[in-house]
Amino acid sequence: MTSLARAMSSGPRHGTHFGRTELPEDVQEVLRRARRLEWVSLAYLGTGVVLVGLVMGSSQAMQAAWIEDLLSLIPPIAFLVGARVAANEPDRAYPFGRHRSVAVGHLVAAVALLTMGLFLVYDSASGLIERDHPPIGTMQLLGQTVWAGWPMVAVMVYTLVGPVILGRMKLPLADQLHDKVLHADAQMNKADWMTAGGAIVGVLGIGVGLWWADAAAALFIALSILHDGWSNVQHAVTGLMDRTARTVDDAEEHPLVGRLEAYLDSRPWIRDHHTRVRDMGHVFHVEVRLVPRDGRADLARLTQVGDDLRAMDWKIDDVTVAPVHRVHEGETRTGEGGR
Amino acid sequence: MASPPARARVLAAGLLSAALLGGCGVSIPTDPDGTLNRVRTSGELRVGVSPHPPFTTLPATPDGEPGGTEVELVEQFARAQGAEPEYVVEGEEELVRLLEEGELDVVVGGLTSKSPWSKKVGLTRPYLETSEHGRTVKHVMAVVRGENLLMSELERFLDEEAR
Repeated sequence: MTSLARAMSSGPRHGTHFGRTELPEDVQEVLRRARRLEWVSLAYLGTGVVLVGLVMGSSQAMQAAWIEDLLSLIPPIAFLVGARVAANEPDRAYPFGRHRSVAVGHLVAAVALLTMGLFLVYDSASGLIERDHPPIGTMQLLGQTVWAGWPMVAVMVYTLVGPVILGRMKLPLADQLHDKVLHADAQMNKADWMTAGGAIVGVLGIGVGLWWADAAAALFIALSILHDGWSNVQHAVTGLMDRTARTVDDAEEHPLVGRLEAYLDSRPWIRDHHTRVRDMGHVFHVEVRLVPRDGRADLARLTQVGDDLRAMDWKIDDVTVAPVHRVHEGETRTGEGGR
Repeated sequence: MASPPARARVLAAGLLSAALLGGCGVSIPTDPDGTLNRVRTSGELRVGVSPHPPFTTLPATPDGEPGGTEVELVEQFARAQGAEPEYVVEGEEELVRLLEEGELDVVVGGLTSKSPWSKKVGLTRPYLETSEHGRTVKHVMAVVRGENLLMSELERFLDEEAR
């Protein structure tokens, strides 16, 4: 606990650094905006959770939407904590820095989503099978007796609007910061309107006498939570498995990997090379093993390779360049590099 | 899992049809099984009574009617709907079974918001708070679960009475 507390108090490095890497001015600004947006998200979702909690009653769809709102508090917290912890300079205890805090946050959030998704699918499906007719009576609002479905719909409209806007604003920032938690959060926010919309359909369905509408809407919401959870667990796990660096949406290999290799290919003095790029969260760790044509290790050339690679992108900072006699059989890249 | 645009379309269709239904004179809320409409047309409200003085009391004579504050309230509610109450005096468990099977419309018997039957019946919003053994007790009535027009109208009536 004390070491966590120490890690949290990253002091003046917070917001300007990821580990040893000092962020360029524009990326610092992106990080500031991302943090501000996540605080706004927490405030907005927090009020949403309170309001939904007050009106949800015994509607399963409303309860599912409430749990989804509650769970959607986790990624912003994971991002804020992760960005703070990752700012720490590598030290003897954590020689690689604390970048993995992002991956840890991502995995925790993903498992929470998956578990809740499974539970809610079970819960809403059994509601349908048991043909439960959810009771929604009235509530007293400002001295008036109103059907409780109307305040539910009003609150869901409130929780529908904010996340969609916030999600759209966060998505490009996640790409620039190369932050997968922020990306997952933005994706979930963007899809959140379907949760709120589903709950509205469910409540109005009960209103017009379709008892199954509520459980069906809850099932729909549960499946979307399950889907989010499953895809996020996959991304988080493959990230922790040191899969080669991929774009923040996990759609393809990160273009920097190809650029690194193209640069090494273009050096006439390098006969063969093997590069491993590990996505630490925000930053990449790069290991280059190369075979010099003349068989000699020239320190100036090797340093130049490291400097050139670092100059490509702020994300590439921790670079190890090792001259070797030969790159192991079966590990060589095939293609233009050749031997 | 349907693709996001497909899901969105399903959802939009759902919203639209809900709005259409709402616009076509279907009142919101509605009873899925039409209980309150049946009460109004048949002129009979089937009330289950489990003795729990002073809220509900046994009939004084074998052919008599039960009494108590809740029985009086339900009688007034029935009149307001243009119906007469038809009483069935039984134990709570049997009344809940009858309510679940749709053989009864309302059950009274000093029920509270902590009732273990809350998953089987529709409990109204508390209409009265009393203090028993130093704890606050919230009194409710039970209706057929999910018959939301009946429940809403009963709650509205109890709100009016509380004024």
